[in-house]
Amino acid sequence: MIDRASTFASPQVVQFLKTKAIPVAIDQAYQRRQQDTEGEFYRRIVQQSPRKDFGNNTTQGLFMASASGDFLGFTNHRSPDRVMQMLNEAWKKAPRGQVSAIVRETVDRRYNPEPPEGGLIVRVQAKILSGYEPAESQFQHIFQTALSRDNLWITKAEHAALVSGRVPRALVTRIARFHLVDNTRGEPPMWETAEIQSADMTVKGSDLLGSFRLATADGRRRYEATMRGELQVQDGRVVNLDAVVLGTFTGEGRYTRNAPKEPFPLAISFTLADGSDIADGVPPQGGRGWIDGYLK
Amino acid sequence: MKVATGLMLVLPGLMAGASAEDLTELTEQRFRKLHAELQPGDGELWRSIPWQTSLLAAQSMAAEQKKPLFIWAMDGHPLGCT
Repeated sequence: MIDRASTFASPQVVQFLKTKAIPVAIDQAYQRRQQDTEGEFYRRIVQQSPRKDFGNNTTQGLFMASASGDFLGFTNHRSPDRVMQMLNEAWKKAPRGQVSAIVRETVDRRYNPEPPEGGLIVRVQAKILSGYEPAESQFQHIFQTALSRDNLWITKAEHAALVSGRVPRALVTRIARFHLVDNTRGEPPMWETAEIQSADMTVKGSDLLGSFRLATADGRRRYEATMRGELQVQDGRVVNLDAVVLGTFTGEGRYTRNAPKEPFPLAISFTLADGSDIADGVPPQGGRGWIDGYLK
Repeated sequence: MKVATGLMLVLPGLMAGASAEDLTELTEQRFRKLHAELQPGDGELWRSIPWQTSLLAAQSMAAEQKKPLFIWAMDGHPLGCT
């Protein structure tokens, strides 16, 4: 989130990435674990970098590497000046010779989930509407005004149910557990099934309505919200799904510190993806490493 | 004086209560307004970068175009939630 509004808001960095390199964005929690061709290639690069002793720890950061997998540069700074310095130094070292494309010989299915065939992908975006103290830094301002992004996956059977005007319980539970979260400052804690005090969704004509009451056992993290939206079906397919969940959120998670101190309004939008955004292909955060559990 | 003091105590509470309720009231009009607002802006510079999401696909392009790879590796997908 913060990189988008700092490093990648720099025209110099953007111009470099458009013209001098092939930019790729990954959730390293996948690649550093993948037991397949792609994972081996990623780890080969990282093992030459300052992140080489990663073990079970993160390898996050910005890397430059040659197409043959030779490490060229690394930084975990967000300052555009520091990033440009790394990019330029790496560029000077980059080999210009012929390199072959790597053949994908093995695929670790656990870390290469595919969207359900015949299902739907729905864009999910969250924003805190108010409640923060005035920002004291540029980075704090970025977090406080952030619009998050995740994807909701809907199975073929659930798609068919929506077409016939029903919202299956599994879909309601998936939305509540994995998508009614405050992910505007980083990776959020998802809700446990037992933390769903109530969750209901109905289709009335083309209206999509719902209500949710979620809370941890100690009550320190809570979300009480309603849903309103519209669902349009044509020729046996959902062709439009726009919805908003709006309610009062309380609390924060280990990686989402510095939420507003008092209960705050959190809005979450749902929009049927059409594949036009590169992020439409990103798997749901809640299904990381266990997509079958996410979709059950 | 007592009345005035009472009003001063009560009014801020009423205003705060009404305000909090308004903030989470989801009318049809509010739904449409919020849904439009909760979409990424077209002018965001980072979205103009031709990101790949497959490292091997990017490697293949890098080999073909004789360019280095730039890897944005985060916890949580960088084009997604974090």
